[in-house]
Amino acid sequence: KIISSNIKCQWEAVGHQTEAVPTNYTLKLSSTSFFSDKIFTASILGPVNNTTIDLNFFPNHMELEIWVVAQNELGKEESEHLIKPANCFVKTKPPSVAVISEAVFPTCLVMNWTSINKIYLETIYEIRFCPLGSQKWFYVPLADTSSYIQSFRLQNLQPDTVYVTQVRCKYNKKHCGYWSDWSSNVTERTPEDLPKSKPDVWIITSEEGINKRQIEFICKDPEFSNGRIRRFNITIEKQKDSIRNGTWEIIPVNRSLTDGSSSKKQITPLITILLDDEESVTVYVTAINSVGASPQAKLIISPKTRGKCPLEKMEVQSHNGQLFLSWKPPNRTVSDFEYVVEWVSDGERNWQREDGKTTYTAIKGDLEKFVHYRISVYPIYGKLVGKPVHVHAYFEQGVPSQGPSVNLSGDPGCYTAKLEWDEIPLIKRRGFITNYTIYYRSGTETRGITVPSNTTSYTLTSLSRNTKYDIWIKASTIRGSVNGSNHSFTTLKYAPGEIEGIVVGVSLGFLFVVLMTMLLCFCKKDVIKDNFWPQIPNPGDSTIGNWSPDYPLKAEAPRENCLSGISVLNVDVCDAKCVFEEDKASLPLKKDKYLSEEHSSGIGGSSCMSSPRQSVSDSDEGGDMADTTASTIQYSSVVASSGYKGQNPSSLPQQSIFSRSESTQPLLDCEENHDTMVQEGSRQCFLRQPCFTHNAGNENATDSNDFNPLEMEQQEVLDFCSLEEDTEHTAPADCQSDDWIPAPVSSYMPQLGGYRPQ
Amino acid sequence: MNGHVKNMHFQQFMETAATLLSLLLLMTVDSTKTVAASTNQQCGNLLQQTLKITRIVHKESGDLIKTYKAAQGEMSELFCKVSVNDIPDPNISGLDPPARIASIYTHLQAFLPHFKRVYKQQTDLQSPGSPLLKELTRVWDRTESLASFINTFYQSLFPNLPIPEPAGGPTTLPPAQNVFQQKVYGCVVLKTYKDFMSNVSKELRNIKSKVRRGIHSGS
Repeated sequence: KIISSNIKCQWEAVGHQTEAVPTNYTLKLSSTSFFSDKIFTASILGPVNNTTIDLNFFPNHMELEIWVVAQNELGKEESEHLIKPANCFVKTKPPSVAVISEAVFPTCLVMNWTSINKIYLETIYEIRFCPLGSQKWFYVPLADTSSYIQSFRLQNLQPDTVYVTQVRCKYNKKHCGYWSDWSSNVTERTPEDLPKSKPDVWIITSEEGINKRQIEFICKDPEFSNGRIRRFNITIEKQKDSIRNGTWEIIPVNRSLTDGSSSKKQITPLITILLDDEESVTVYVTAINSVGASPQAKLIISPKTRGKCPLEKMEVQSHNGQLFLSWKPPNRTVSDFEYVVEWVSDGERNWQREDGKTTYTAIKGDLEKFVHYRISVYPIYGKLVGKPVHVHAYFEQGVPSQGPSVNLSGDPGCYTAKLEWDEIPLIKRRGFITNYTIYYRSGTETRGITVPSNTTSYTLTSLSRNTKYDIWIKASTIRGSVNGSNHSFTTLKYAPGEIEGIVVGVSLGFLFVVLMTMLLCFCKKDVIKDNFWPQIPNPGDSTIGNWSPDYPLKAEAPRENCLSGISVLNVDVCDAKCVFEEDKASLPLKKDKYLSEEHSSGIGGSSCMSSPRQSVSDSDEGGDMADTTASTIQYSSVVASSGYKGQNPSSLPQQSIFSRSESTQPLLDCEENHDTMVQEGSRQCFLRQPCFTHNAGNENATDSNDFNPLEMEQQEVLDFCSLEEDTEHTAPADCQSDDWIPAPVSSYMPQLGGYRPQ
Repeated sequence: MNGHVKNMHFQQFMETAATLLSLLLLMTVDSTKTVAASTNQQCGNLLQQTLKITRIVHKESGDLIKTYKAAQGEMSELFCKVSVNDIPDPNISGLDPPARIASIYTHLQAFLPHFKRVYKQQTDLQSPGSPLLKELTRVWDRTESLASFINTFYQSLFPNLPIPEPAGGPTTLPPAQNVFQQKVYGCVVLKTYKDFMSNVSKELRNIKSKVRRGIHSGS
């Protein structure tokens, strides 16, 4: 390597410059040492302020004089003369560096380099190095490299560590020359050495059945592992064993070759054991690398129930990008006392050891934002693990990444709905939930209810029936809130059982009404019957009976508003009895008729009588009298004694034979009322019973010839008495009299003397 | 005042004068040493510079031979073993330092025409951009600068002695040569020059050690 013969010079124009008056710069170089007053020049036009002079060879060790002459139309000016040895103007290229490691010196690296030949330029050097990945350079003191050297040994390095090295050089004369650029990075790993510190052993405890716990031993590499840990040796000694007879178990470590610059130590699971709660074990662990074994680490697991007093007043605080812990130390400690601070998140666990005097520390690991950590502090009493104190914390809280999903619990009611929701998964919670706000919206109205964070269900009240509601829940942390998914439901139109109740009620009511109606109908069947099915005598069932009235009969013209041809016979009770008795004997036909299948009810009356029944003339059946009287109304048509001789009444008083037609047609209202009025007004009573009297005198009359047995068979002649039922038994005494009280003026004319059959 | 008193005054005066004269002498000697030391220092620096340049030239002459041989093609190793006349002697002559330094200077001056001829011949034999030509130029220029340094060094050491001119007049160059002869000639010149520079380097180191001893002994 030689120095270039080109010398580049740069100057700075002073004073006002203008393009109207250009300046010509001439660089001049001379050396009286060898050029014999020869001056090398190089000119350039301004405003360029640098140029290069080629000397054919670089005049090493010779003194140069360099200056610049500026000249324009207005004049010429010369700069100061720079007079220095030529080597002072040299900036060398960086040396070419090579680094080697020596197995016998694990804390050293030897650097070798080549630079410019000493005969041209005697140089000094500057060396710097740093662990790979670190930004902090370590500089070798200049005094150690202020000579023309080609190698250097770096010492006091960490074993099994990759270092980056750089070198630069300069002319060794003071205040002379320019430092070269730093050489390109050269990396080399120092050799491995024996581990200088113990492995960091810790445990993971979990419950396993009753009175048993599962303990997993985990381990971090020693702080000064000085090499790649290839395996761990572990032995477990139980409390009952008085001597250590545990066998060493080898736990190989499958780990790729790391560059040693990673600050995060890997955690190696060692062994898992089952331990009774009352048992105690001691664990010994050593770490082995390619050179040898580390010092032994020891950990004692005490019985569960005999744990020492826990720590108190543990607090967590995030500050300046770190999570700080503070706690109150226990009352009693031992000489070999320390703490283990453990932090656990979802799938990640780490720990650090603190001195026994520490009560305030920061977690040294890399904590992630928005991740939930369970932080524990364990007191270690002379390798014996004590009872921890736990706290939950976030390094930094955020807004949850998802809201809670709300669902209905059961079916909604008419006015209420029970909601329930699950807690947001821990991995998505991103902070402590301060509260939930339940929103429900129907139409355009939205309402919100805030509930504590420990709530996972709530019953909405005061809802409207048959209304669609949209609900969602907002979860809030100190950083913000997030809404969960929407859920819709519609309240019932009818409450459960309401329809059934209505149906049952209606049914019961209907049934009640029906029953009452039926009862009423049953009780008032006669009335109903009379109203709805008035008995109309069936002419086909009627029979014609002849009777001779006591008084001469006149053929009365039919009156208005009365039934023509109908007259009422009054008969005494006694006569009625006699009549009845006589009837029994004398009216065999009638009886026969009555006993026949033919109904005597006539029109209408036949519909009321479903079975053949005796006529009202059968007075033995006293109980039937009321019924029979009610059901058999005597309609009579006055027929001339000579039988039917036409319609024209005869002026001659004749002993007429009245034929009556018996019919069971009930009386019409006017007839009934009229009867009643007669009863009330004149204490007249009409015995409503088919009673008839026989006209003994006429029995043998020729009227018998008029007595048409066919008619008799066809028609029934009934007397009717208008005696009310209720007065049947309490009929006034005069009703018992022989005299039938004549009826008021009506179509029913009371008959005097009664009816006497011919 | 009696004579005794006069004698006393005279004696005191003499004593004072003697003391002052001694001091003056001492100061003169000391200053002489300083001057000498200073002169020696300057000479030493100049000598150091000269020595450094000599080393550069010596190294470059060795590199030049390699470059020359590489540029001559086959059988170039044999070229330098051929004997050629009219090549300057690589040995330094003279018995005392001034003569030897003067010999260095004259030899350097004698080699310069040969360098020029070799450069001219190789210009015809090599391509214009050949590194041989550049190296030849560089060695040639350094030789000139070295000669200048030697001259300055000699002048500084022996300011009253003019540096003698080489005996025998200007250097005699060989007659016209053919290509082969040119190649041989060039190799022999460069090799001889390299040997000469080796001798110069040794000589200057001797002088340097003597100068150093002289400085130390003088103090």
